[in-house]
Amino acid sequence: MKNWHAFTRWLIALGVLHGIVLCAGFFAPYGPSEQDRKSPYLPPMRVHFVDGQGHFHLRPFVYSFRLRDGSFDQYEEDAAKPDPLRFFVSGWRYRLFGLLPSGLHLFGAETTRVYLLGSDGYGRDQFSRLLFGGQVSLLAGFLGTGFALVAGLSIGAVAGYYGGWRDDVLMRVAELFLALPWLYLLFALRAFLPLAVGPLQAFFLIIAVIGAVGWARPARLVRAVVLSAKERDFVRAARGFGATDIYLLRRHVLPETSSVLLTQAAILIPQYVMAEMTLSFLGLGVPEPVPSWGNLLSNLQQYSVLVSYWWMYLPALAIVPFFLGYLGLASSLQERGEAYKIERRGLGRLT
Amino acid sequence: MRISRAKFQSFWMLLSLLLLFVVFLGHPAIASSQQRDTKEELLALPGELGRSGGRLVVALRGEPKTLNPLIAADSRSREVIAVMQADLVHINRATQLTEPALAKSWKISPDGLQYTLVLRQGIKFSDGQPLGADDVIFTFQVYLDENVHAPQRDLLIVGGKPITVRKVDGQTVVFQLAKTYGVGERLFDGLAILPKHLLEKPYQEGKLAQIGTLETAAKQWAGLGPFRMKEYVAGQRLILERNPYYWKADTQGNRLPYLDELVFLFVPNADAQVLKFESGESDVISQLGAENFSVLSRQQKGYVMTDAGPGLEYNFLFFNLNAPGEKASSEMRRKQEWFREVKFRQAVSNAVDREAIVRLAYQGRGTAIWGLVAPGNRRWGNEKLAHPARSLDRARALLREAGFSWSNGPDGESTLQDAQGKPVEFSILTSSSNADRAKMAALIQDDLKQLGMRVQVVPLEFRSLLDRVTQSKEYDACVMGIASFDADPNSDINVWLSSGGTHLWNPSQAYPATPWEAEIDRLIEEQMSARTFEQRKKLYDRAQEILSEKQPMIFLASPDILAGAKNSVGNFHPAVLEPYVLWNVEQLYRKSATENGTR
Amino acid sequence: MMRYFLRRSAHAFLLIAGVSMLTFLFTTLAPGNYFDEMRLNPQIAPETVAALRAQYQLDRPLPVRYLYWLNSVVHGEMGFSFAYNSAVAPILLARARNTLLLTIVATLLAWGIALPLGVWSAERRGRLPDRVLSLGTAALLVIPELGLVLGLLMFAVRSGWFPAGGMASVEFESLTFIHKVRDLALHMTLPVVALVLSALPLLIRHVRAAVADVLDAPFLLAAQGHGVPKRTLLYRYALPAAANPLISLFGFSIGGLLSGSLLIEVVMSWPGLGPLLLEAILSRDLYVVVGGVLFSTLFLAGGNFLADMLLYWADPRIRRESSLR
Repeated sequence: MKNWHAFTRWLIALGVLHGIVLCAGFFAPYGPSEQDRKSPYLPPMRVHFVDGQGHFHLRPFVYSFRLRDGSFDQYEEDAAKPDPLRFFVSGWRYRLFGLLPSGLHLFGAETTRVYLLGSDGYGRDQFSRLLFGGQVSLLAGFLGTGFALVAGLSIGAVAGYYGGWRDDVLMRVAELFLALPWLYLLFALRAFLPLAVGPLQAFFLIIAVIGAVGWARPARLVRAVVLSAKERDFVRAARGFGATDIYLLRRHVLPETSSVLLTQAAILIPQYVMAEMTLSFLGLGVPEPVPSWGNLLSNLQQYSVLVSYWWMYLPALAIVPFFLGYLGLASSLQERGEAYKIERRGLGRLT
Repeated sequence: MRISRAKFQSFWMLLSLLLLFVVFLGHPAIASSQQRDTKEELLALPGELGRSGGRLVVALRGEPKTLNPLIAADSRSREVIAVMQADLVHINRATQLTEPALAKSWKISPDGLQYTLVLRQGIKFSDGQPLGADDVIFTFQVYLDENVHAPQRDLLIVGGKPITVRKVDGQTVVFQLAKTYGVGERLFDGLAILPKHLLEKPYQEGKLAQIGTLETAAKQWAGLGPFRMKEYVAGQRLILERNPYYWKADTQGNRLPYLDELVFLFVPNADAQVLKFESGESDVISQLGAENFSVLSRQQKGYVMTDAGPGLEYNFLFFNLNAPGEKASSEMRRKQEWFREVKFRQAVSNAVDREAIVRLAYQGRGTAIWGLVAPGNRRWGNEKLAHPARSLDRARALLREAGFSWSNGPDGESTLQDAQGKPVEFSILTSSSNADRAKMAALIQDDLKQLGMRVQVVPLEFRSLLDRVTQSKEYDACVMGIASFDADPNSDINVWLSSGGTHLWNPSQAYPATPWEAEIDRLIEEQMSARTFEQRKKLYDRAQEILSEKQPMIFLASPDILAGAKNSVGNFHPAVLEPYVLWNVEQLYRKSATENGTR
Repeated sequence: MMRYFLRRSAHAFLLIAGVSMLTFLFTTLAPGNYFDEMRLNPQIAPETVAALRAQYQLDRPLPVRYLYWLNSVVHGEMGFSFAYNSAVAPILLARARNTLLLTIVATLLAWGIALPLGVWSAERRGRLPDRVLSLGTAALLVIPELGLVLGLLMFAVRSGWFPAGGMASVEFESLTFIHKVRDLALHMTLPVVALVLSALPLLIRHVRAAVADVLDAPFLLAAQGHGVPKRTLLYRYALPAAANPLISLFGFSIGGLLSGSLLIEVVMSWPGLGPLLLEAILSRDLYVVVGGVLFSTLFLAGGNFLADMLLYWADPRIRRESSLR
């Protein structure tokens, strides 16, 4: 029972995190491709409560930045111009959940642009890009996992249920795919497909490639479950009653795979988000100007950026809370699965 | 015994004849034609005197493919070959004017068709063999031989016919041109003189292209440059040593080069170059990007960074104006209809924020350009050309005139449509290894978004990019840059001429596709054979005007030449012409006596 | 014993053959033809192009091309690289050597740390030290590899204590032996740290889990009752009993020797197999890609094979099981 609580806790935490990313338009003050050519490589702005004269303000404020004379990217705060932050401001229009048009944003300042995490070489707000990039990376992880699981489920079910030569062939192929170093395969597959595609097509290509490489392990696991499930008494009985294969699969066998699929999902989603990040980082993923957590990091490969603009590193840590959530979810699912199995076997072990 | 007077006299006559003969033999002019060791005629270079000894380390972005000037196509090979070879007449990179090199003097005939060059005497190749007119004849024979496919061949075709050369005597050669050539003796710059004694046999066997590789060059090649090959470690470095037979000296008569060794390190990319320089592993750095330059300037520990001013590189955006092949899709045809509309291109040019490009891609170390002549070329730019400021209104007006319109989307963003109602969308290719051009493309993308165009930037590996643009012609638009190798319009002739290979928007045409291209062809041909600078400039100005009106290339910006060297490197004077830092490598020296390649 | 060995080797061999065919198939997805690549390289003379065409039958259908490539593998060349203008095998071998230098050191280090830590943690399972270690490994697990490597690179660049990438300094050839070793060690440190940190968490967890499972066994309780000292108990009795899953894990470690370090090598500019493959993929140098993938798969299959062999030797249950079959 303790495990139920752990599972729900992690689920809620993940839900909140995903919710923030889903409502990126609301939480982000600016759009992901809005350039501000006068402010390239601005460091993160500090939010102040106490002004230059030592007065405390309830409403936090920021200072606008001024370029230091004779330099290109050295800024200093202009202490003469405090700009108070306002909450629930109206700004650029976006679509909440992709459907509802809205102009409401969590925060913003009156005259200056607020750069919570600094800006990049085109003056785009890194915080906004982080949120919108999360949408792209997480969605890629989800859809990729979905694709891999669906493919794995179908192939594993067919192999496990029908057995015989189908099983042999499919499992040999699966072993082949499992034997290949999957990162290399991912790259090779992606790079051999046309590179000059639009962001949407690139996105779907990535998902397709991930699915094409990642179906093997789920397929093996599903096959194992199906193999044991089809020998169960109630399945035999149903068959005796004249149930068709499809009915058996749909009604009795496949539901048994749900726990394995769920656990696999919790493990694979973060893995595939990482895969998308790696692909985009190396230029084989989502192209500019669409942000993704991977391509937000890609200009860190330039020496000048590494040395001078440390805040460009921050998107690398954005995924950490998500990984934590998925890790917790996966372990609570595994523990729950084990506890469930033990209860079933009736061994009554002290946990 | 008394010898008869006659006999006595004839004896003395014989003796004096003998003596005369011996003296005659000892005369230098006679001796040179008989002995192999003549007094060398060294070229004395003015400038700061330096210390002999020491080593210079240069980090090269990548490995040279070959040391054979006949097949070297990439810039790295050219950079290394430049310090190993010498030419007849050389363009001084600092003054941008010609100077005597292997030829100590030259004369142009009054009709401009004959160039008589006199070689320096007593010069030897890096393997000790003497240089003579035969080598020059052989060199040009090889360059002009069609079976060799030397890239230099195109440079030697004047007036449609190849230049011919004949030997007058051991030291003098005469070049015969079919038409007068405005460029004059500049054409000899960079044409390395090849050693006949080593290359004649491979040439006759047709194996010239196979020799001169990095592994074998030490034995198969000899040059006249300040350095010769010493050692090659694949994937890591190339070590050159001082050529003891180099024919230049300083004003005190010390034979150049000062340096004992020149080491080229191979690094994978520009950032690695910066790392090596910053850590002190390499001694000079050139072709720096502005961002790396700022980083290095901020630190300045033990080295000095120099901004040599505007260079000769020009970056531009161009559209695919090739005639559509039979395989062209209807989509491609539709796009090309937009591209072919002059007002479309002019609108794009008006919408581009050149100032932002200079600021964000070059950190201010560059200049916005509106024409092909880069600001580093002070003599040839057309001052009367307009430099219109960025104006989105003007751009929109032009598009409206051309029949485009805007439709408003549900979220308030407007899309540009052509007369048939199709949205204007296309992709811009750029090289994935060039961060500056990628930035330019991204800025242009955003600029054009304000006009309602949906543009996508596609970074490609450079070779694939080149293949797409020049061979398969499968692209919409592209951002590229060209660096002229000389401050003379002729160096860009293949960009100007419709038949040229770098006439990028529609290369290698059989005959000009448009009347204005035909007009440009005519102007360029005419200025090639014009005799005076003023004549050439007038024609060249008119050609620039046409280009500015028709905008087949939308010019963006030109970066400054940025370089740096350790404080201990003497005579460091970066130039805006290639090779920016090593152009005076024979005069570079290490200052302190304890320096030996480390900081 | 022999039969098991033969069966496993046949299996591995078939796997590798299958992989080679699969990869070859993938390369046909690339648009364009191979001659474009060669034409663009001025150093390849026309005669070479013609000879290559004949040798690899590049304009024939896929199965023919595959056979000719197989032929070149047998001859030790593994195809031709368009970018490097030479046979593929020597390039691959040189780069693989560099990669192995990193990964072998990292694997030994990681196992060397994970084994004692895992055992120590399993012994104190449920108590504070175990929880702390669990938290630590969780913290490491959730940091993405990309973040780890980039962070280390930033550290190197900003502190200046370590070289920021590459394998050797310019004066490498002229250094004394001791200095050469030091130079190499300095360059290796950060990539190895990155590899170890990304492998440690899972390793520690698995070791802990495997040992913890065994620690409840009756025979250990009995041994303890006999007065066997703690250390001997853990390492001479418990660990070998827990060895089964660990040996499989070790097989995975061996298998990942060539392919696990791709990202780290690329970011740290270590001249290993990873950057070579990426470069080859981006420049469509197909035979290098096929050769590289095959090489890594060889290690993967080899690792599994080695694990199977070790298991057979170490675990009498498997020996019995297989002889029964």
